[in-house]
Parts: sequence; structure tokens; C-alpha cells
Amino acid sequence: MDSQFLVSLVLILATFGLYIGIAVYNMARQTSDFYVAGRNVPAVFNGMAIGADWMSAASFIGMAGTVMLLGYDGLAYIMGWTGGYLLLTFLLAPQLRKSGRYTVPEFIGDRYSSSTARLIAAVATIIISFTYSIGQLSGSGVVIGRLLEVPTAVGTIIGVVLIAFYSALGGMKGITWTQVAQYLVLIIAYLIPVIFMSLQLTSNPIPWLSYGQIIGELQQLDQQLGVSEYVVPFTEATKWQFLALMFTLMAGTAGLPHVIVRFYTVSTMKAARWSGAWALLFIGLLYLSAPAYAAFSRFILMTQVAGSSIADLPAWTASWVNTGSLSVADTNGDGILQWEEIVISNDIVVMATPEIANLGVFVIGLMAAGAMAAALSTAGGLMIAISAALSQDIYYRSINPKATESQRLLVGRSSIIIATVAAGIVALNPPGAITQIVAWAFALASGTFFPALILGVWWRRANGPGVIAGMLVGLTVTLTYIFAAKFGGFTILGIIDTGARF
Amino acid sequence: MRKIDKKQADAYFRTRTTLVTIYLLIGFSASFGVVMFAEELSGFSVNGMPFHYFMGAQGAVLTFIILLFVNAIVNDRIDKKFGLDQDLEDKK
Repeated sequence: MDSQFLVSLVLILATFGLYIGIAVYNMARQTSDFYVAGRNVPAVFNGMAIGADWMSAASFIGMAGTVMLLGYDGLAYIMGWTGGYLLLTFLLAPQLRKSGRYTVPEFIGDRYSSSTARLIAAVATIIISFTYSIGQLSGSGVVIGRLLEVPTAVGTIIGVVLIAFYSALGGMKGITWTQVAQYLVLIIAYLIPVIFMSLQLTSNPIPWLSYGQIIGELQQLDQQLGVSEYVVPFTEATKWQFLALMFTLMAGTAGLPHVIVRFYTVSTMKAARWSGAWALLFIGLLYLSAPAYAAFSRFILMTQVAGSSIADLPAWTASWVNTGSLSVADTNGDGILQWEEIVISNDIVVMATPEIANLGVFVIGLMAAGAMAAALSTAGGLMIAISAALSQDIYYRSINPKATESQRLLVGRSSIIIATVAAGIVALNPPGAITQIVAWAFALASGTFFPALILGVWWRRANGPGVIAGMLVGLTVTLTYIFAAKFGGFTILGIIDTGARF
Repeated sequence: MRKIDKKQADAYFRTRTTLVTIYLLIGFSASFGVVMFAEELSGFSVNGMPFHYFMGAQGAVLTFIILLFVNAIVNDRIDKKFGLDQDLEDKK
């Protein structure tokens, strides 16, 4: 055991203890606590909770790397995901909050006066959230596994037990306040390394202002090397693909049931609007920093790694080469590592930064805690959404409308545990890469909920049979396409099963 | 919600819908609009980056954040003007 291991372990355990403590302190005592946190979460804190709920392990670990690898084309993710909050806050959240329900399927069922619509929406919620949570749980397995030096499967099990325990206990009320804590942990962990990196490279501590200068230098380096320039648009795909991807990400964001339900936890429509504004500000802190990470990392790779002798690479590269995330084969055998000979996985850009900038064991441990916070907070929100669909929309509204408060709480709690364990079992042997799984969930959300909700709020004549048909078709087409592309090798126009990469 | 005169309710709904339409137009031109004309807009720099890159990495996100806060503030004023104090209502 070295000191790095100990520091990381202590930090991780301290944050886990904090989350459990918060859940115990905010234990849900009645169904309104359990589903909507008693509807009295202040807008600023709800904004933080939405941020943590929404930003998954993939955002935290993978996004900066994607922006670095794709150049301008990666910015579709930045604009698409933040733009989703415009649609959500302007077109959906306050109106849904006004309806005064507990869940998204309940709103759909009552708006279209159809139990069938409600049940289909509940099943869609379960499928979307379940798919999404598989990605989060296997992500947390990778982080815990790497950190504690145990197999990924053991890491996944640790994550499952933790989430099942604190979300079953605290319900939405507990989850809300753990998500606030998790937001603070993840944003501090994300900002400290990029601020230090900015100081070291540009002697300006504000990365958002300083990375423009680095981008200018990158343009010159690219020209010298004759590679396609970092800022040149549409090098990876066409303009139309960029626009389509951006729109899908926006619509998918606005249709994710576990995010929408967070807007139900505040007291008024006014508070729902403010929650949306605060949420995007808090999310923006991370999304505005990701391109800075990307520019700094590319600059370091181009100036400090590329061009050096293969026997004399910076020390931090060794551990990432060992995990297979970085490949530095000297393919033309001249003893010098060229820029073209570096192959880098998008997962290491953020995680390797503390080592690159030589920030010491504490910051490395903090990064691990931040990545865990991102995975756990999203998984917790998803579990509440699944549990609400099972216990409120299906059990209480359709099977046993006379259920007492304590019966409903019991069903809610047990469905969280069952759902977490089931998702954990699938996550032990995930059906695809983390980013791929999350993309499926997005496609499903934009194909089912987004149109049903937008039309339900804004078009008086939208009716029950129409929305049932719409959701069924959306669900069937999307699922069929995912399965066909994944297992049957069937694609239309070469669009693979992951139109989006997260 | 408290019963209000139908005419007033319509006016309230119309004001809010107009505003939302304007906000969405601004938001979409900052994102989709700039992407449509990315090549043409790359000629000058903002914050050290070519304009199209700046908008993608920073400008669009900042625009979205500002729009959401403007919307929250303006909507509060409209609610007050129409006499809808939401802190007392909507509680269920």
C-alpha cells in the first residue's frame, strides 16, 4: 500500500460516509418526501441537485477527451447538452410542475386521461432509466476497481450496495441533499486541476480566459505538422450530422424522466424557472471548463510528449500506457515519438491531468472522489425514477389504489433495492461501452417522452390514442434499431446504434 | 390557481408565449445559427479563439445561461403585474 492508495481510500470513504449521513438525516417519512422531497427544496439547491443528477460519470471523465479528440466537432456535445435546458425550462418544467403530480407518467396519464398512456410511460421510464443506470454502475465499478485495486466487478458491487442503501432510506429527500453534496465534490474536483494547469501553462489562474491563447498556439503547431487544424469545423462529420446530433442531445436532455422529476421537488412554477437557471449555471461551470481541459491536454501532448525520444517520455505516461488508455508505439522506428503515433483514449484527459500537472496525491484522490460523485448522483436519481414508476404509476395507480402511506413507502423502498440490484447484475457484464449505453437511453428518451410532453403541454388537441401510438412507435422503432444495429449488423445510411457517443 | 378574468389570463399567456419564442430564437441563433455559418464566421477572434469556436465552446453556453436568468427575472415581474403571487399559490 502506497501513500496514494491511502489518501484516495480515505477521501472516497469520507465522501461515502457523508452521503450516507445525509440520507440518514433526511430520511423520507411520507410518500411526498419519498417522491418529491416534500416539494420544499429551495431553487438554488435544486439547481445543484439537477446538475449532479444530470452530469454523469461520462460527462465528468469523458467529455473533455471527446472535445480534444474531435476538435470543433466535439462542441456539438457542449451546445447540445446545455441547450437541452433551454427547451426544458422554457417549454416543459414550469408547466409540468404546475400539474402537481409526483411523476412524469402520472402527468402523461392525467393529461391524456388514459391509464394505458400512463402505463406505457411508466414502462418507458423504467427502460430508459434502467439502461442509463447500467452505464453509471459499470462506470463506478471501473473507478472503484482502479482505485482500490480490486476487480471491476467488486467495484460495481460496492457501488450497488451503497446506492441501494442510501436511496432506499432517504428517497427523493435524501437523494436531493446527497446530490447537492455530490455536486460540490465533483465541481471542486473538476476545477482544481484545470486551474493549476492554466497557471502552469499561461500563468493565468482563470482557465476560461487563458485557453484562447493556447488554442492560438495549437493552430500554429497544427500548421507546422500539416495535420487538420484543431478549430477547423466539420473535419469528423458533415455539418448536417453536427446539427442533427446537437438537436438530438437537446431533445433527449429535455425528455429524461429522472431530470424532469427534479423540477417537481420545488414549491412553485416560479421556483421551477429559477431551478432551471441555477442548474444551467452550475452545469455550465463544468461544461465551460471541458474545452479548456481539452486545449491544455492537447498542447501538452503536442509539446511535451510528441517529439521526445521514445525512451525518454514524461513519467506520467507510463501508468496510462499500462492500462491501455494511451498508446505510444514508435511505428516508424526512428526512436522519436511523433504526434501521429500517439493514440489516446478520451477517458484519460481529465483523470491524467493531476499527474501531468504534478498536483500530488490529494488532488488525484479528489478526482477519484469527484468521478464517483458524478456516477453515484446520477445513479441515485435514476433509481428514484424507476422506483416511482413502479410503486406510484403501476402499483398505486393501477394495482392497489387503496394502498396506505406505509405500504406505498414500503413498495417504493423495495423497488429501489430490486432495481439497483438488477441493474448491478447487468452492469457486471455490460452490453456495451459506458458511453454507448448512455446514448441508447438518450435516443429512447427523445423518441418517447420529448414529443409526448411537448405536445401535451402546448397542443390542446393532442389526445390519448395519439400519444399512446406515438410513444409505442417511438419506443419500438428506437429499441428495434438499437438491437438491429447492435446484434444484426443492420444500419440505415451507416448511422450506428450510438448516434451520440455518451 | 386563483380565478382570474379570462381576458387577463389570455393576455398573460400571450405575453409569456411571445417572450419564450423570442428567447428560443436568440438561443437557437447562438447555437444552430452559428454552426450553419461556421466557416464564414471563423474570420475574426473573440477571447483568443476564432469566433465559431468561441461560440461553440463558450458563447452559446453563456447565452443560454443569461437567457434562463433573464426569463426567471422577467417572468417574476410579469407575475407581479398580473397579480399572481406564486409564492402563495400552486402549493399542493
